[in-house]
Amino acid sequence: MAAPTTTAQKNSVITPATYISAGVLIGLTALYGFLSTQMYADALSDTAYAMSYWFGTLLQVLFAVVIIAVALRIGLSQGVGKQWLLVGLGVAAFAIGDIIWTVLELHMGLDPYPSLADPFYVLQYVFFIAAMALAIRSYSHLTPVRAPLITAGVVGLILGGVVYALLLGPHIFPAGTAELGFWGLVVSTLYPLGDVFFMLAPALALALVIRQLGAGRLGWPWWVVIIGALIYALTDAGYSFADWSGSGLTATLEMGWAAANLTFALAALVARDVYRIR
Amino acid sequence: MATLRERVITALSPYVGATVADTCVRGTALSIGKTADELTDADLPALESNVRRLLSPVAPSGVIDDLLAQIERGN
Repeated sequence: MAAPTTTAQKNSVITPATYISAGVLIGLTALYGFLSTQMYADALSDTAYAMSYWFGTLLQVLFAVVIIAVALRIGLSQGVGKQWLLVGLGVAAFAIGDIIWTVLELHMGLDPYPSLADPFYVLQYVFFIAAMALAIRSYSHLTPVRAPLITAGVVGLILGGVVYALLLGPHIFPAGTAELGFWGLVVSTLYPLGDVFFMLAPALALALVIRQLGAGRLGWPWWVVIIGALIYALTDAGYSFADWSGSGLTATLEMGWAAANLTFALAALVARDVYRIR
Repeated sequence: MATLRERVITALSPYVGATVADTCVRGTALSIGKTADELTDADLPALESNVRRLLSPVAPSGVIDDLLAQIERGN
């Protein structure tokens, strides 16, 4: 009677430890979501507001630690270990940006946009596209990658045009350096374009590559990363558009970055199981 | 007893899907001037070398070693 259970356990790719870890991360993010709504509703005392603010910031640090720990466990001498390290360093860069942002806004009462936080936020794009490039190249001996790259490039150009038509043309460029300052104009232009060319397009290219694996489990963690990239890009785009069109920022939009980096952390947990020797 | 082609596809499919697994076998066979169905256990060294080369960028070496052992055992 014990044999079927043993076989089922042996064949189960995602381990109970991953379900538990994922549940904890999702629970913490949901708690931050609740706190975020309270922060937006101005329903918290100053101390509770500051603690909630730091809770959200430290959550990003936790996500980075999870991904980097998985990368180190896979091993940096392995190709896939390097790919996951780059994803983790991207989230770590975002977390550092968030820490700087929190200190500037919460403790120094400064407007943190633009600020020293921005280069770290931009670094996430750099690490992410490097991770995607390595991941796509790693599959080049197994599946065709040229058509996915061309398709993603074309889609990226179209989306870049949409960003220009909806955001850069009507809002950001007219504001120019007079309203934004030089660095303000640079980062206000870079974020929406970075979302398209450094997040969405590479994620689409990777999706088109790994779809050729069918249900092959080596593709599973990358599918989760692709979902994270989509959440990240949509959040950034929504935030920029809401800010510039005057439609107003919401707690849901604020939660987007936490949800995106949470998704990257969940992807790393899936990767840990997929790369486990059975 | 399953053929070498079937053993490789059985071992690799859960990781890279059936199509890519089949491509691995056919690629190896082509490189030694055979068809996939003509592969025998004598071709294992060439097959292992090819599988390792193809999978090493996308999977840790421990997983590849395990898959190759599975192919050799035939389960």
